[in-house]
Amino acid sequence: MTKPVNKFLLKAMLFALPVFILFELLFRLGLAPVVTNSDLFDAKVRHIKQQQIRDVKLMAIGSSITLYELKSDLIKRNFDIPYYNFASWGIQVSDMRVILNDYVNEYHPKYVIMCASIGEFRGPANESYLNYFNTPRFIRNNLPEYFYFKNYNSIHQLVWRKYFEYPINFDQCGGAELIIAPKDISHKKLDSRDVFPTRYTQANYIALDSIAGFLKAKGIKFIFAQAPIKKSYANTQLYQQRLQTHFDKCKQIVEGGSGIYLNYYNPAVFTDSLFVDQYHLQDAGARVFTKEAIKDLKAIIK
Amino acid sequence: MLFTSVIFACFFTVFFLLYWYVFSGNLRLQNLLVLAGSYLFYAWWDWRFLFLLIGSSILNYLLGIGIHKTKNEKYRSLLLWIGLVQGLGCLLFFKYFNFFLQSLTGEFAALHIILPLGISFYTFRTLSYLLDIKYRKIEPASDWVVFFSYVAFFPSLISGPIDRPGLLIPQLQNKRAFNPEQATDGLRQILWGLFKKIVIADNCATFTNDVFAHYHTLPASALLLAMFLFTIQIYADFSGYSDIAIGLASLLGFQITRNFNYPFFAQNIADFWRRWHISLTSWLTDYVFTPLSVYFRDYGKSGLALAILINFTLIGIWHGANWTFIFFGFLNGCLFIPFVIRGTLNKKKKVQPGSFRTFVNMAGMFLLLIFTFLIFRADSLDMALECYRKLFSASLFSAFPITEKVNMAAALVAIIIMFWAEWKQRDKQHALQIEFVQKRPVRMLIYYGLVCFILVFSATNIIDFVYFKF
Repeated sequence: MTKPVNKFLLKAMLFALPVFILFELLFRLGLAPVVTNSDLFDAKVRHIKQQQIRDVKLMAIGSSITLYELKSDLIKRNFDIPYYNFASWGIQVSDMRVILNDYVNEYHPKYVIMCASIGEFRGPANESYLNYFNTPRFIRNNLPEYFYFKNYNSIHQLVWRKYFEYPINFDQCGGAELIIAPKDISHKKLDSRDVFPTRYTQANYIALDSIAGFLKAKGIKFIFAQAPIKKSYANTQLYQQRLQTHFDKCKQIVEGGSGIYLNYYNPAVFTDSLFVDQYHLQDAGARVFTKEAIKDLKAIIK
Repeated sequence: MLFTSVIFACFFTVFFLLYWYVFSGNLRLQNLLVLAGSYLFYAWWDWRFLFLLIGSSILNYLLGIGIHKTKNEKYRSLLLWIGLVQGLGCLLFFKYFNFFLQSLTGEFAALHIILPLGISFYTFRTLSYLLDIKYRKIEPASDWVVFFSYVAFFPSLISGPIDRPGLLIPQLQNKRAFNPEQATDGLRQILWGLFKKIVIADNCATFTNDVFAHYHTLPASALLLAMFLFTIQIYADFSGYSDIAIGLASLLGFQITRNFNYPFFAQNIADFWRRWHISLTSWLTDYVFTPLSVYFRDYGKSGLALAILINFTLIGIWHGANWTFIFFGFLNGCLFIPFVIRGTLNKKKKVQPGSFRTFVNMAGMFLLLIFTFLIFRADSLDMALECYRKLFSASLFSAFPITEKVNMAAALVAIIIMFWAEWKQRDKQHALQIEFVQKRPVRMLIYYGLVCFILVFSATNIIDFVYFKF
């Protein structure tokens, strides 16, 4: 009985072998597997691996606001502790809860800083992050080729990602620069106003509350920095009121979890010329923001 | 646990090794492994519904023995009715309760009922088991493990084919020996199924889902292309699933029911339904249509037409609780009426294979399918009507953007390959039965060509098999 099965299995394995070799080859050639449905998050995952991040005492987490607006060079110059910016584009607070759960256990930070605007409270959670973090850490760290098969990476998609998509450059600490020439700024984006709150906002508040509780239980200091918003966003009383309600809600949640709430919404300091859209600051604006934040952080980070 | 997932590949590899290495000498242990594997496979989706599956198996097993042992015909019928009420009752409750509630109240009133995966398929298996015992076509399974494995046989548990007890139970009762030819053919069929599912169905789905979600803002030309692609998508998806299921069963030494016989080469609607979802249509033919046509035989052609209409409406209802499915079934039944009137229902057209007439018939049939499957795809009859209306607008000649161009081009090339291969191989069980190709390197080239096609052009998102929801 076993002889025909052996022969059959051997043949099947020999047939499948070139497929595995092909994917290993792709991996060695830098055509990395698709890990989540966000190219940008995947790029951050690869960067973390390349930088061989081991010890992080100050962990920055968030979306593009944290990524662009916390300038790594200024942070490094002012704080003599290991720092890495884990932020990635488009991440919601609900996603941060999933991400933090894993990263905190892996890097054991003393401080977690989250710079957020209202964009992080507008959308649903991205299930593909959960899919990634639910994969055993050993496989994630040692056998990323697994994702070629887990996520059905088509080769044309891998090639497309590597050669044709938006180039992504991080500094050593995971931060990035947002430099857009004035002529390239989209006025449509600059003058638009996203609806807020949305039907997902409550879920994001719950996630923020969960983050605050989680970090408190771990003995980690949670710092929530409300990032600047363009003045014109709140040029009606209704929107001013909505913003204020949001600020109050976040402050209440963060301080309820023994975290520190900092608010940098100040249209007098962060004038409209410093923005590229409603929430994102130009690089010059980001430097002003980081300097302002450092002043406050010096009293917190010892 | 999708057939196309890594987790299933791991599960099946372990299962295969245990099946042929550890338990191969002991039939009962092999069957117990089939049963345990099937339950694990089912519980992976939602373990709570495993109790329904087991409960249904226990009841039907006991009823089967009861029907067989009892001499009293009335008592036999009573036991059969208990089984029918249980099976159809569960089906009605889980699948149709909300539909009836909403149709009766005319407003949105619904319970939160989750449809147990594969309920339509395993219920039909248990029903045919009881009916066949009642009409003395088979004897009940003496071993409960055999019967439970028959009901829950994992390759065909979720989306069929609906295996008859007369086919699968004897195979479960007899010792199985590993047959390398059968296993190799199984692998080939799995490869062909994956090609159809991952390259054709999923790439088509990316486009069709988008168009049907935004049909009111898109031109009629986009809708027409989506209708064309959906017709192919549903075939590639469901027949791809069936190919994988049959292939998996072959690897375990089983031969299960063929579900598709190249339906796009059908010459007319009657021919199409002899080739499409064969296990369901033959089930309904045996247990619904034949008794009905006997019952209505005194009414001549009208009786036959009525039996067909009922049968096809039931086919529609089987697919789900929506007026679109009911109307889809009814419409297909109506399309049979000209054949009934002419008395040519069971006569196969004598046309020269490959003749011009054959292709004209096939093209006409395909066009008909494109238009009828729109009802199947639509969320409501209103949406279907709106789509039909839209087709007769000037926007039929407008251009429209395609976002995933590479995927779309790959899908179109793959569709051509599928049609060509299936036409060439139409006398075979599946398109990849290519033993006639004498040169081994050529065969390997074909296999690796398909593997490469899958690896390079698979859809970005793998989508659940369409028939999972039925």
